[in-house]
This record gives sequence, C-alpha cells and structure tokens, in this order.
Amino acid sequence: MGSVGKTGFESGSSSLGAGLVMHIPDILIDSRVAMATTVAGAAGLAYGLRRVERRHGERTTSLMGMMAAFVFAAQMINFPVGPGVSGHLLGGVLSAVILGPWAGAVVIAAVLIVQCLVFQDGGVTALGSNFLNMGLIGSVGGYAIYSPIRKAIGGAKGVLAGSMIAAWFSVLLAAGAFSIELAIGGGEHDFIRILTWMALVHAVIGVGEALITGLIVRFVLLTRPELIRDDEPVVEETDAAPSAETSGKPGWLATLVAGLGISLAVAVFVSPFAYDAPDGLEYVGEKFEFLPDESHPPMIPSPMPDYQAPLPVSIPGLDAAKVATAAAGLAGTLIVFALAWSMSRAFSRGAPKPGGTAAHVG
Amino acid sequence: MSVDDFGSLAGARGDGPLHRLDARIKLLAAVAFVVAVAAVPLGSWPALGVLALILGGLIVLSGASPLRLLARWLGFLLLVGFLAALTAGGRAAASGMSWGMVVLNLLAKNSLAFLMMMVLAEVTPWNKLLGGMRRLGAPPVLIATLGFMQRYIFVLSDELGRILTARRARSFRGRGGLGPASVSNLIGVLLIRALEREERVHAAMTARGWDGTMRPLDD
Repeated sequence: MGSVGKTGFESGSSSLGAGLVMHIPDILIDSRVAMATTVAGAAGLAYGLRRVERRHGERTTSLMGMMAAFVFAAQMINFPVGPGVSGHLLGGVLSAVILGPWAGAVVIAAVLIVQCLVFQDGGVTALGSNFLNMGLIGSVGGYAIYSPIRKAIGGAKGVLAGSMIAAWFSVLLAAGAFSIELAIGGGEHDFIRILTWMALVHAVIGVGEALITGLIVRFVLLTRPELIRDDEPVVEETDAAPSAETSGKPGWLATLVAGLGISLAVAVFVSPFAYDAPDGLEYVGEKFEFLPDESHPPMIPSPMPDYQAPLPVSIPGLDAAKVATAAAGLAGTLIVFALAWSMSRAFSRGAPKPGGTAAHVG
Repeated sequence: MSVDDFGSLAGARGDGPLHRLDARIKLLAAVAFVVAVAAVPLGSWPALGVLALILGGLIVLSGASPLRLLARWLGFLLLVGFLAALTAGGRAAASGMSWGMVVLNLLAKNSLAFLMMMVLAEVTPWNKLLGGMRRLGAPPVLIATLGFMQRYIFVLSDELGRILTARRARSFRGRGGLGPASVSNLIGVLLIRALEREERVHAAMTARGWDGTMRPLDD
C-alpha cells in the first residue's frame, strides 16, 4: 500500500504490517466459511447502511466517505510503537467513537472494499470475513465495550479509557474470529495452535491500536470534544453523579454485551491452557478418527505439547508459545489499562489549553 | 506521495483491449476466476495450470508491467505463506497429500487469485469499477460513499502533505522519526480537518440542492 515515503516517517522502523496481518487473503479460508461470511457480511452492511441513513439522511455518503478516506489515509502513516517496531491505526473503534457503532462499521467496509479492489489487500472472497472481524466485531463490538465503560467512568475520562480498552479487546476478538474462520475446513484440530499464534501476533497489534486510538481520541477531546459522538455530553463535565438520570436504562444489556465481549477476548488467551494434556479437540478427533496420523508434522512449530520443539526457547514440560501467549495477554491488558489510566489523568483537573498540543503539528 | 501509490484510484493506466471492456464484465469475470480457483480441489495441478495459462494471457493483454505485479505479489507472499502453513496441517490430513505440497498448492492458488485481482485493478479505473458495481445492483448509498471516499483520499493526502510541510517549516527535527505523541497529534489534526471539511462541503452541496441522490452521467 502507499506510504508517506517522502516524509521520513518510516525511517528506522520496520513496519509491523498490522493491517496486513488482519486482512485474510483469498483461498486460505474454506469456501463454506467464505460463502457464509459473505452473506453475513452483506447482511450486516445492509443493516448498517440503513441505520446510518436513518441517522444522517442525505449526509450519509459524504460523511461516511470522508471518514473512510481519513481511516485510509491514517493507515498509511506509520506509528512508532516501540524501538524498531511500528504499526498503524486500524480505526474501527476510533470511527465508532466519533460517529457511532454502525457508522464505524460502514466506514470500515468502505476501507476494506477499496483495499481489496484497488490494492489486493485482503481477498475478494474473504471480504465478508474481513468485514465481520474488523467492521462488525471491530466497530460494533468495540462500541459495545466502549459504551458501558464510558458511562461508568463518565466524562472525557470515560471516553478515553473506554475507547482504549475497547480498541484492545476488539483486536483480540477479531483475532479470535480470524482463528475460527481459518480453522474451519482447514484444520479444526489445529484450532488451538492457530488461535495461539493469532493471539500472540494480535496482542502486539492490540496494544498498538489501543495506544494510537487513545492518543488520537485524547487529542480530539482536548481540541474539539464536540466531535465525539454525544449520546451524553462530554464537554461540560459536572462531576456530580454523572449517572443518576442518564444511565437509568442504558444499563444491563450493554453491560452484558461488553462483559461477554471481554470474557471472550480473555478466553482467546486462556483457552490454550484449557485444552491441556490430551487436548479436548484432539480427544474428540481420536474418538471419531478424523485426526491424521502424525506423519505429517506441521512446519509451523506447534505450541501443543505433543508436537515437538515448539519454539526456539522451549521450556521442557512447559509450552513456550502457550506461556508466551498468556503472558502477552496479561501484559497487554495491564499495559492498556495502565496507559488508559495515566492518559486519562490529564482530564481530572482542568483540561490543558486546547491548541496547546495542536500548535506544533499544524 | 506519488500518484502511483494510489493505484487505480488515480485513474486509467494505459489503454488496451481490456481497458475498454465493460467494467461489469471484468468484475464478474475476475470474481468468477477467483471462485473457480478456490473451487479447484487441492492437488489438481493440471486445473491450476489451465487457470494459470488464462491468467498469463490476460496479463499479456492487459499490458501491465510484470515487474510491478511481481513486486506486489512478493510483498504479500510472506503473510500468505504464514497463514497457509498454519492451516495446512488439517488439509494435508484430509487430502492425504504431504504438508509441503498443501502449502505449495495453497500458495499457488492464492497467487492466481491475487494476480487476477491485480490485473482487474490495472485495467479498471476506480470510477469505472464503481459504475459497474452500481449497474450490477450494489446499493447506491455504498457506491456514492465509495465515490466520495476516492475524492477525499486525494484531498486528505494533500492536506497531510501541507501539515507535514508546515511542521517541517517550524521544526528543527524535520527528518527522522517522530514520537508517538507527535504522530497521533498529526493524525488527530487530520481527523479534525477532515470532519470540518466535510461539514463545509456538505453545506455547499446542500446549498446547491443536494438531496442524497447521485445522478451519474456515465450510464
């Protein structure tokens, strides 16, 4: 994909290719999965378009087009995550925070369609799966996590913390969905291995996404807070009982969905442990004899104990990839929560002058 | 940012028999080709060979630079290889082929699909493709959104260029990496300017009688 080559942005850092990892190419998912997700994705998009049109009317196309162009442009800017590593914004949660969940999904759909048809980034038969993972789970699911956190904390702090935590968990959920789609038809009995690898890779991407999303949301809150979609006002933060009348009904359903989403995301990391010794799927596999004899050892080192040499740093008795995955999940969650907490402290006492941070960028 | 970075968004590249073909036919044919490739069972190399010959002919007809095709294809090979290797185990077991052959087969099939979609983009400018999708029955709102998106991508990349120029003019650290805070502020500025511009554009369109319906001239 295009890059902001002349700007010197990517000097010295190798791109993580976050977008690439998330985009499923053609052929790799099973045809049945491709068909099912294409139908589901099309239905989801049609519903999303209807919702957005009802809200924005004749403004829908220019607003969605602009936001999609923004996400597209923002994805071309490499973002330093750590020494030598850079990622880029994915944007599902950011779009949802600014414009609402379904608008976010429509924006992501537009971005995915352009990336697929113009840049071959993501397969045409995998468009539905990619939209499911990044649009529906990323934006709509992300918003379901964001909304209750925002309401619980309240004010600008809530927006910031909610969007960061939602960004982190939505990437994990997308990784889980990605693994399921890959595993069906390809390697049911490899599911845990696929999931472990995906969770490992996406833990890094997720922290990056949370950090980038948080910093951008923070910037918007400092400069133009009214741009954040206002189910409740962000601007005037009256610290007295923020929830009394507003959160009378937003309550249990949203919280339930958010809780479900978060626990599913946690399961992404924990599940490799749940299937320990004679792992559950394998046990079923042996029972029904759809498992191969092990004469075709998989080339990607397997994190499962009964395959040999999982990783270069294999610990005898313990499985390195599994441990690494769980550690990455734990560390990522802690990092994101710590970042969210420290960044939202800026809003506890009078917010810094707007424009102060804007000045040196332009 | 060079125009080349934007691929078919920027418009037609060259002219040839495939360029002049109706976008609907090209889109349907390309998708049909990808579906056909997907439908070829694992291990039937002759079928893949036939499809590869068709693809080769189309590449020659399209006049696309083979080097550019090759470069992009190689760029995606690593990811595809990783995913193929992850999923090949079960497929190898189911088909009785060796693991390596399954990976090779998946890579070959993916390459055929990838290159076909790339040829489609090479010979079909984005506007034409959108027109084709609209006439094939895609929702008009989606098509209009994608049309706006294309225009705004160029507007925003110009905007980005101006922001960067301004930053360089004011900063002593013109070269080299920016910190996360600077980059995120930059993206934030871009976001705010994008939304403000959309507001202005929308107001101007409303003043001229915009009612949400695209009235394309190329039907």
